[in-house]
Amino acid sequence: MLKPGDSAPPFDLPAATGDRLGRVALSKLGDELIVLFFYPRDFSFICPTEVTGFNQALNLFRAEQTAVIGASVDDAESHRRWSRELGGLELPLIADQGAVLANAYGVFDEKERVAMRATFIIDQERKIAFSEACPINIGRSVAETLRIVRALRTGRMCPADWTPGGAFGPADGKF
Amino acid sequence: MREIVFGVQDGVLTTAGVLAGLSGAVSDHTQIVLAALASTAAGALSMGAGAYLGTRAESEVMASEVARTRRDAQRHPYVVQEALLGELEKQGLTREAGYRVVQLLSSAPDLLLVTAEEKVYGLAGAMHANAALDGVVMGIAFAAGALVPLVPYLLVPGTRGALGSALGATALALFGVGYFEGWMARRTQRWRSGVRFLSIAVGAAVVGYLIGLLISPLGATAG
Repeated sequence: MLKPGDSAPPFDLPAATGDRLGRVALSKLGDELIVLFFYPRDFSFICPTEVTGFNQALNLFRAEQTAVIGASVDDAESHRRWSRELGGLELPLIADQGAVLANAYGVFDEKERVAMRATFIIDQERKIAFSEACPINIGRSVAETLRIVRALRTGRMCPADWTPGGAFGPADGKF
Repeated sequence: MREIVFGVQDGVLTTAGVLAGLSGAVSDHTQIVLAALASTAAGALSMGAGAYLGTRAESEVMASEVARTRRDAQRHPYVVQEALLGELEKQGLTREAGYRVVQLLSSAPDLLLVTAEEKVYGLAGAMHANAALDGVVMGIAFAAGALVPLVPYLLVPGTRGALGSALGATALALFGVGYFEGWMARRTQRWRSGVRFLSIAVGAAVVGYLIGLLISPLGATAG
């Protein structure tokens, strides 16, 4: 699995954004930060709360100049139907058929043949700024991801459990 | 069905074996019949008790597994949902269709659990078994099977004649049990089921006899 400091592998893959089919390319994303979250499968009873959670917080991420993109090994048509099932999503879901992207980011589960429940935050230089993986039965915290995004955007040293408005570390501290 | 087929086959073969063995070792016809009757009684009781205990043990293990699964399902319902979804996919439904089926079943939690228990964990069959009935059926089937080679000994004078009739009746009975099984399974060529059953049963008896021949020198050595 890729770690902070690694270069983010580029991608240009089919995707579904709500009912629309298209493509998502890393090179064409102008956002400052990109949250790329992998999940195992569409039409699952474990995944939905995460996807809808990210979707509901989309405006908050956009306010931080951050794009949010989901990815699983399902095809774009499945994503389109899954988006409809979840009430219509505004965030794009990448169709990583063949698990090319999951393998590139080091999050493909060979045994289950799906992507792990993993999250990456890619910075402006298109390097990995943050990465985490969760057990398949535990949903991620959207609020925590947003907190990390906000902390990264300060460019400052942020102590444990930092939240906006909280004190920073030493001004000359490097991380 | 299992208890009937197993019980009859064992009763027929065991008693035929006892009669054949005693006919070679003992000359008194009455002693042979009495020994075979005693063997039949012991065999019927033993097989019946074994069937009862086996079915009961299996039911208890299954009940324990079901209780554990239901406890897990209460804590993590999505685990049962995902497991059933995965099983439906394996059995040919598309992911989306399976999702809809599980979603529908989730509106009736007890039905979701029972379905998952059957399809995912295979916990259905033994739960409905009746241990006492299995025991009784097995015992009666054994005794009924034992009568097949025993009756010729009651009707035919002379040990040699009785043995020949008993073996013939045994072969016919084994063929008949196989034919019955084929009839129950609605097969068109039921005689094949009969021949197969007879072949397997006789084959097992022959192998047992050969093993006895192989190890008999050990008895001579020990003596």
